Amino acid sequence: MSIQETLDANVDADVDWEKARAILVFLLPGLTLFGVFSVGPMAYSVVGSFFAWDAFEMGAFVGLQNWSETLTDPLIINWDNLLAFTFPMGALPQNLLWMVLHVPLSTVLGLVLALLFADLRGKRILRSLVFLGFTTPTVVIGLVLLFVYDPQAGVFNELLRVVGMEGQVRNWLQEPQIAIYCLVAGGVWVQTGFSMLLYSSALAGIDPSLLESARIDGAGPFRRFKDIIWPLVKPVTAVVVIMGMIWVLRIFAIVYAAGGPSGGPNHVYSVLGLEVFRAAFSIPVEYGKAMVVALIELMFALPLAAYIARMD
Amino acid sequence: MTHISLQGVTKYFEGGDIVANDSIDLEVEDGEFLVLLGPSGCGKTTALRLVAGLEHPSEGDIHFDDERVTDHSPSDRNVAMVFQNYALYPHMTVRENIEYPLKIRDVPPEERDERIEETTELLHIEDLLDKKPAELSGGQRQRTSLARAIVRKPAVFLLDEPLSNLDAKLRMEMRTELKRLQDELDVTTIYVTHNQEEAMSMGDRIAVMNQGTVRQVAEPEELYNRPRTTWVAQFIGSPPMNLIGGTKRNGTVELAEGTSVPVDASSDSGSDTDSAPVSLGVRPEDFSVHGDSTDADRAITGTVETVEPLGEFTIVNVDVDGTSVKAKVPTTGVERGDRVHLTFENHDAYLYDERGELLP
Repeated sequence: MSIQETLDANVDADVDWEKARAILVFLLPGLTLFGVFSVGPMAYSVVGSFFAWDAFEMGAFVGLQNWSETLTDPLIINWDNLLAFTFPMGALPQNLLWMVLHVPLSTVLGLVLALLFADLRGKRILRSLVFLGFTTPTVVIGLVLLFVYDPQAGVFNELLRVVGMEGQVRNWLQEPQIAIYCLVAGGVWVQTGFSMLLYSSALAGIDPSLLESARIDGAGPFRRFKDIIWPLVKPVTAVVVIMGMIWVLRIFAIVYAAGGPSGGPNHVYSVLGLEVFRAAFSIPVEYGKAMVVALIELMFALPLAAYIARMD
Repeated sequence: MTHISLQGVTKYFEGGDIVANDSIDLEVEDGEFLVLLGPSGCGKTTALRLVAGLEHPSEGDIHFDDERVTDHSPSDRNVAMVFQNYALYPHMTVRENIEYPLKIRDVPPEERDERIEETTELLHIEDLLDKKPAELSGGQRQRTSLARAIVRKPAVFLLDEPLSNLDAKLRMEMRTELKRLQDELDVTTIYVTHNQEEAMSMGDRIAVMNQGTVRQVAEPEELYNRPRTTWVAQFIGSPPMNLIGGTKRNGTVELAEGTSVPVDASSDSGSDTDSAPVSLGVRPEDFSVHGDSTDADRAITGTVETVEPLGEFTIVNVDVDGTSVKAKVPTTGVERGDRVHLTFENHDAYLYDERGELLP
């Protein structure tokens, strides 16, 4: 159909107003919620990010001042440390580093566990145990990590003592250059439950006769994984990866519980969510900055969310 | 060309709670088309999977020619299997599906192409090569899955109810085609089915299975003409063989209500004077139905219960002293409630003893 024809068809088309009204009525509740809680705050932040703020009072238009101040704030990006790769590097690089480590690790681990559990007796119990981490509130995870890494009572240090590495015993969450990795490990534990569950259901959806057929065709375990299992669970991988990325972008409670509002000693594992919270709700209130940081987060999350939403 | 031999093969599941195969002895000759026939749950698919190497026998041994393959993996046995649901790899095209076993076995690309061309021509699926399985009809999937099996030139073909997902017309077509392929390729084939028509029309020999054991192995004709047990007799034939209880005495079988039928079992010997409970078996198609009295030696009298005209033949259900006996006749004038005589020839009568074994 040519453009002209399409236009004609649409212009001439009889609009069924009654139907349109009905559709509108049904859409209204959802759209209202979506508007009030999603689009509204986003638009408000976009506008607000160009204004000066006195606590929660909007002041004069300041153009890009909030943006330039935020992007040069060492708490958001510490360029010198970033180039030297020493912590603190600022919330944005730290958040992205977290993502780079967390997503592949939790994805691969989830897949490995799902494959491992697939043919085991008692797989339901094992799956439940692993998934338990994902169902636990993230604040609790943060507190648990505090205990795990505690120098006296912590399991991790106890383990080091048991294997004779007493020299390594320390308060891991207070070590500026290591602390973030310790927290990432905790996050991976949480997210692995989720990716394992998705992979498990994807694996369960593979017809066993396909794998038997591949065995008869001569494929060993590795070829069966590469040629049959992996291509068939690939769509799930996209979901796991993107959900993982969004999860890390929104991360807050683990960091807050483990390191307080500053995000560890000298902000060494501060993340974007924490900076939004600090800018908006601690003295001095920097509402404009909070909006800018939240918008930066949104800029990363939006395309990911759009990709997931458009998937078949 | 491979001779397959199963010796005392037993397979338990769930730590012995389920016995899928119980001490199976079976020989499949070089190039033979053997059909495993039996009702669902009789263990025929398990037997096939044991030959494929997808299951490991709990007891017993499997030999291919002189080689013991019991512990060999499926890929080391050089068997090809066609699954009931075809098991085509959904993410691969028809070409990739057929090519896969060759690729795994490192067959050089030129030879792969050659063999794919050869096989797809043989099965008339040349124009489907770039399609994904989801775009194919049931028959086309079936052919693709056969092509994947054939292209490898395996030593043994294993087919697990390959026609059961096709519609009736296509099933007839594929039956002929499969038989043609097997004749052409001359590869030892084991074919599992619960459909006796398929078994009778395709098999060189048929192994009838029930409850995990092989009940009889015979050529189709022999299976039909000399079923060794009442179970086999009732499993083969449509409708199944009639079995009428009676007592054998002095060369005759006395049925209830004083009817007696002479059976000259030539080999009857000293035990002749003893009486023994037996079952008299007559196939429905071997009965003739007479409305008037008949002077035939072997006649059973009963009352017509129902008449089922099925076009090419008619089934007459006759009540003989409480036993429903079926007769399959070309045409009939009898009606419900008529008193009729069912006659049969001596050579059409089978006698089974108490244990259900065919008497000589």
